Amino acid sequence: MFSEQAAPTAQGLLAPPSGQPPTFPRVPVAGYSDLSQPFRLGERSFCRQYAHVYAVRLAGMRPLLERRARGRWGDDIALRRLSELQEGEKCCVVGTLFKAMQLQPSILQEISEEHNLVPQPPLPKYIQPCDELMLEDELQRIKLDGAIDVQRLVTGTIVAVYGREEEDGRFLVEDHCLADLPPPLPWSGPSSDRFVLLASGLGLGSMSGEALLSTQLLVDVVTGQLGAEGEQSCAAHITRVILAGNLLSQNTQSRDTINKAKYLTKKTQAASVEAVKMLDEILLQLCTSVPVDVMPGEFDPTNYTLPQQPLHRCMLPLASAYATLRLVTNPYQASLDGVRFLGTSGQNISDIFKYSSMDDYLEILEWTLLAGHISPTAPDTLGCYPFYKSDPFILTECPHVYFCGNAPRFQSKLLQGKEGQRVLLVMVPDFSATQTACLVNLRDLSCQPITFSSFGADAED
Amino acid sequence: MEQPRRITDSFPRRRRGPGRPPGRLKDRKDKNKDKDKAQLKVRECPRTPSQPPPDPALMEMLRRFDLSWEYGPCSGITRLQRWERAQELGLSPPGPIRDALLEHRDNPDVTYRWDGVGW
Repeated sequence: MFSEQAAPTAQGLLAPPSGQPPTFPRVPVAGYSDLSQPFRLGERSFCRQYAHVYAVRLAGMRPLLERRARGRWGDDIALRRLSELQEGEKCCVVGTLFKAMQLQPSILQEISEEHNLVPQPPLPKYIQPCDELMLEDELQRIKLDGAIDVQRLVTGTIVAVYGREEEDGRFLVEDHCLADLPPPLPWSGPSSDRFVLLASGLGLGSMSGEALLSTQLLVDVVTGQLGAEGEQSCAAHITRVILAGNLLSQNTQSRDTINKAKYLTKKTQAASVEAVKMLDEILLQLCTSVPVDVMPGEFDPTNYTLPQQPLHRCMLPLASAYATLRLVTNPYQASLDGVRFLGTSGQNISDIFKYSSMDDYLEILEWTLLAGHISPTAPDTLGCYPFYKSDPFILTECPHVYFCGNAPRFQSKLLQGKEGQRVLLVMVPDFSATQTACLVNLRDLSCQPITFSSFGADAED
Repeated sequence: MEQPRRITDSFPRRRRGPGRPPGRLKDRKDKNKDKDKAQLKVRECPRTPSQPPPDPALMEMLRRFDLSWEYGPCSGITRLQRWERAQELGLSPPGPIRDALLEHRDNPDVTYRWDGVGW
């Protein structure tokens, strides 16, 4: 608990109250800049095909991958396009991966009348041993075989493969490489302890009273109304709270009203209205005390496709009166006190989990960093806006803290790169399930979980 | 041949004057309306009368720009947007194309991407 660093002379709760209770001013906000401008969409036009996203992704990442390929397999390797391949020649090709999966849900199969199939139920994983990998560049595609892990990789990754073309038209891979960690950012973090609280999956509107108690305890700790003077002085070091998505629970998404007749549902209110009112009150308590960044998630009232746009401030009338409330986009990038934060609400990681053999969420998060792209499956299996000019999900600089919300459990790891990158990977757990939030110390990039368990009716002692 | 031929070129453009199609019982008002409609058919496409028609060599150059695979897909975006995207990605698209696009900014045949349905 971070109260170990509490002032040693601070009084405990068992002492009589002092005449003049001490106040602990919160550490001032120093150096905040919001860098998620590429994720904000102004005028939106959906009259475009997704081919532009893939073309721009490949064109944008090709120079980087060619550099990595030369560094790994020698400066004199032959870099070829698929149209220039000659049979038997050892060469390197850069392209986009496509994984042909039999179990991948396909809307065309569902509506096809000749199959007469019931649409397949959602599965936890859609991988199968018979999946195939293809490499596509601007003009052609080729099937990949050999030293490449078909189960692990997902569609949309830009990769460089080294091998040769066989007689039957497959490409036999001897080695492959990803974009690897992006170039490091200079470090200018604070010299004293500054904490940022990361929480996600508050899950309001789920009819569970216990979860509300934990949320209220979280708010009380951050605003310094809980604990003795030691805890309060530590809470004063929390400079920011970031809520990484899923503020509303999945229960608010029930679509029964669509199927029922209009006269039955005329007076029913959507479940999300009550939940948003609760969210407004909770945010009001937080905003009076600390700057809060609110990211939308999968079940929040905003658009479905990535990048999700910020929640509208008219939904939070009480809290948006305060300038400390910032409503931000779903992949969120910001510089807090010289430390670069980048994170999502978890849709990208859970989508890769469904289509890859990787089981550990932290491993997937690290893999997206090594692949140089926040969400490679984006237009294929995860909804994405049809960009045409540039792909904003390509990682151009290595963040200092890379987080992902709504994970099943808390995990964190400090990753060291070859070029001096230092990244703290944090999997922020789902608060409604685990009642755990994370505290990141900006001084030394360490992270600790903080759990608010309450005693329920069936709690074990 | 300076301009590509259309299939409809083989059908001569006719003003629908006194000889009206049979079976249409209309009064005087519609006769005048028909004359105006016939007038409109002869004109090529809605354009400001002061502009000259675009040079066929220019249209050919733009079509070749659309079809070159190095600059990415051409559908769904204007030619200028495609040119600027190629410039930002470092693919060095030819400069004369941009000059031509800016010069004929108000001509929809020039600025919009090639549909694939017409010349």
